[in-house]
Amino acid sequence: MKGLWKVIAPFAPDQSGASAVLYELGGILVICDAGGCTGNICGFDEPRWFTRKSAVFSAGLRDMDAILGRDEKLVEKLCAAASRLDASFAAVIGTPVPAVIATDYKALRRMAEKKLDIPVITIDTDGMELYDRGASKAYLALFETFADDDPRTIPNAAGVIGATPLDTSSLTAGSDISEVLKQEGFDTVFCYGMGSGLDDIRQAGAAAKNFVTAPSGLAAAQMLQSRFGTPYEIRYPVLPAEIRNRYPSFSGKKILIVHQQVIAHTIREEAEKACAGRTLPQITAASWFMMADELIRDGDASLAEEDDFIRLVRNGQYDIIIGDSLLKRAVPEFTGEFIDLPHFAVSGRM
Amino acid sequence: MTKEPYSITAESLNAAGRGNIPAELMTSTHLIYSSPATLAFNSPGAQGFGVKRAGLSIPGSVMLLVSPGCCGRNTSLLTEMKEYRDRFFFLLMDETDLVTGRHLQKIPQAVQEIVDFLPQKPSVVMICITCVDALLGTDMERVCRKASDQAGLPVLPCYMYALTREGRKPPMVFVRQSIYSLLAPVKKEPATVNLLGHFAPLDDSCELYPLLKSLGISKINEISRCGSFEEYLAMGAANFNLVLNPESRLAAQDLETRLSMPYIELARLYQIDKIANQYKLFASALGASFDDTKYRREAEEAVRAFCETHGNAVIAVGEMANANAFELSLAFTRYGLTVAEIYGTPTDEDFVYIRRLAALCPASRIFSNLSPTMLYYDSGRVHIDLTIGKDARYYRPGCPNVSWSEERQPFGYEGVTKLFTAMKQALDTSSSEGSSR
Repeated sequence: MKGLWKVIAPFAPDQSGASAVLYELGGILVICDAGGCTGNICGFDEPRWFTRKSAVFSAGLRDMDAILGRDEKLVEKLCAAASRLDASFAAVIGTPVPAVIATDYKALRRMAEKKLDIPVITIDTDGMELYDRGASKAYLALFETFADDDPRTIPNAAGVIGATPLDTSSLTAGSDISEVLKQEGFDTVFCYGMGSGLDDIRQAGAAAKNFVTAPSGLAAAQMLQSRFGTPYEIRYPVLPAEIRNRYPSFSGKKILIVHQQVIAHTIREEAEKACAGRTLPQITAASWFMMADELIRDGDASLAEEDDFIRLVRNGQYDIIIGDSLLKRAVPEFTGEFIDLPHFAVSGRM
Repeated sequence: MTKEPYSITAESLNAAGRGNIPAELMTSTHLIYSSPATLAFNSPGAQGFGVKRAGLSIPGSVMLLVSPGCCGRNTSLLTEMKEYRDRFFFLLMDETDLVTGRHLQKIPQAVQEIVDFLPQKPSVVMICITCVDALLGTDMERVCRKASDQAGLPVLPCYMYALTREGRKPPMVFVRQSIYSLLAPVKKEPATVNLLGHFAPLDDSCELYPLLKSLGISKINEISRCGSFEEYLAMGAANFNLVLNPESRLAAQDLETRLSMPYIELARLYQIDKIANQYKLFASALGASFDDTKYRREAEEAVRAFCETHGNAVIAVGEMANANAFELSLAFTRYGLTVAEIYGTPTDEDFVYIRRLAALCPASRIFSNLSPTMLYYDSGRVHIDLTIGKDARYYRPGCPNVSWSEERQPFGYEGVTKLFTAMKQALDTSSSEGSSR
């Protein structure tokens, strides 16, 4: 039945995606919850929590706070924390509780900004969407709020949008991507939210080109293109060697890649190049997450339910599935090869 | 701006007094820092027994989590554990469900699908609901009855309401009541007792077992030792309940009302004289007496052995351990040790310990595990030789640590013996490593 998941546990939710984008930027992040959502973020979805401290806090809402809509109490708590912490901005990130009581985030932001001397952003996540939606909202809010209209000149700079541990399943993706892009000729690389700070967000308009490494970065890249004329390219430049080494063996095979779409599509393009001159593989990209129109090919699948995936595998007669091994449980009858490509937002594995 | 974590000495906290705990130490007055102790509560799937694991204490049970996706997110960790594989199911809510409550209509069908999907019919289906249904005012008892009628097996509610954490029935209290709610009146067995409170058994070597047997109690039930649903149901025959964790009090009261099963509470303590006194009172309540000399001597010997070699050790005590951080700190100071730091969340009930702690070790500093200022905790400010608890280890990485947070539960004299033995081992190992460098 629709909505019933019998084998696969839920994926990282939108508030985790928003938090992942903002995590390294030096702000106070308030998860507008009773505690459980923050626990999920810090205890599970944010692998940087135990190695790199960040001011991620729970609003500590209680039933009467929610029933009476005590926004002013939340603002008081935020002000008290801001008075004792060194923070460059504050962000309020939504969860199911404010979604139920229809919290007015704009009003909340105005109330908080009146009492604080730092900028405040709000992200209206609700815990029912997936991480990429929250990340996308956070990127947009960041660039809309902080990107200078008239940035200083930074020659030959590249921006990277869409790199979070949830998307890259790596703690070193920021530096890895920067290194590759520098090898490709860029002098400066801003990997927003993973290695680059708020000052770099301010200079976003100075980038000569933006790279979108996950669908969550696309809306922000389009916004920056419209605002500053910055072109963008959708590509994931640091695929693991274990996958790349397998490309020649993909020739003539029917392959399903289940991951975030940019990774899936980059594998497809690279594998096709590697097999040029031989029988090309037939590769289908599928994802429960956002799918950019630019990358969709005929046969690609946007999944909504657990059953969609099971049906796709059952009917697809694939030789190979590339995806997080957690998904194997859902298709025990699959007899082909399953190549593990961890997706942190799916399994919490790097 | 001073980058200092909030802290208060035991002396000052005691002077402030019960009912006047500083706001920085309260959970509802400020933003909440995600310390390991907070995460242990707020991310229950991640570690320890939270509502999800606890709700599956009944043998053969499965759980349907009815919630927004975010509430089930960390459950993937549990589903990787052998004993929880194929026991969690998810009915994910969307925005329309939130507005119309239509997800409640789907529950009976979802339960039926789960029963049909599983190769073996579960004993019980637990329906776990979360904050959104708390706010929607869902009558889950009614929904469970409907699902039970349709699927032909017991369906019980289980409330993961973080919003009600400080209420009369916090989630961990409610779940304890829920898991014993299927016990029905059966013929009483006078020589049977239930131990309520934990979701894992007491250590096998705990003296409570032989002490109870010395009173003629031949059968000691713990839900975590029940191998089958039938064994679980047999807990309904117990003559009385022993409540080892106050969060089980409500469950015990419920059993007293429904099954005429009285209960006695025993606290987990680390002060040997208090343990002795508690056992004495317990035995006299049953019109008997214990000979606990042997166990008491073992505990005293373990304390003596530690103090003899490490009597000058400076200790930091966390709350993420199988102990009340304040009672344990008081026990340490009464044994002549120094407790420099405590990471905890004091309640009014803890003042019975804080008052004595203030007299014996007034300079002990209490840090709030929940305060945003703990972001600035600096382990270099005060020298500590040994930490107790997982949270203490987080704040002071590299310092010898006894995590004291195993799932098997320590209790009584045996808890003291094992703790002090582990503490001695931790410091002995640290010293020998230091001298070999």
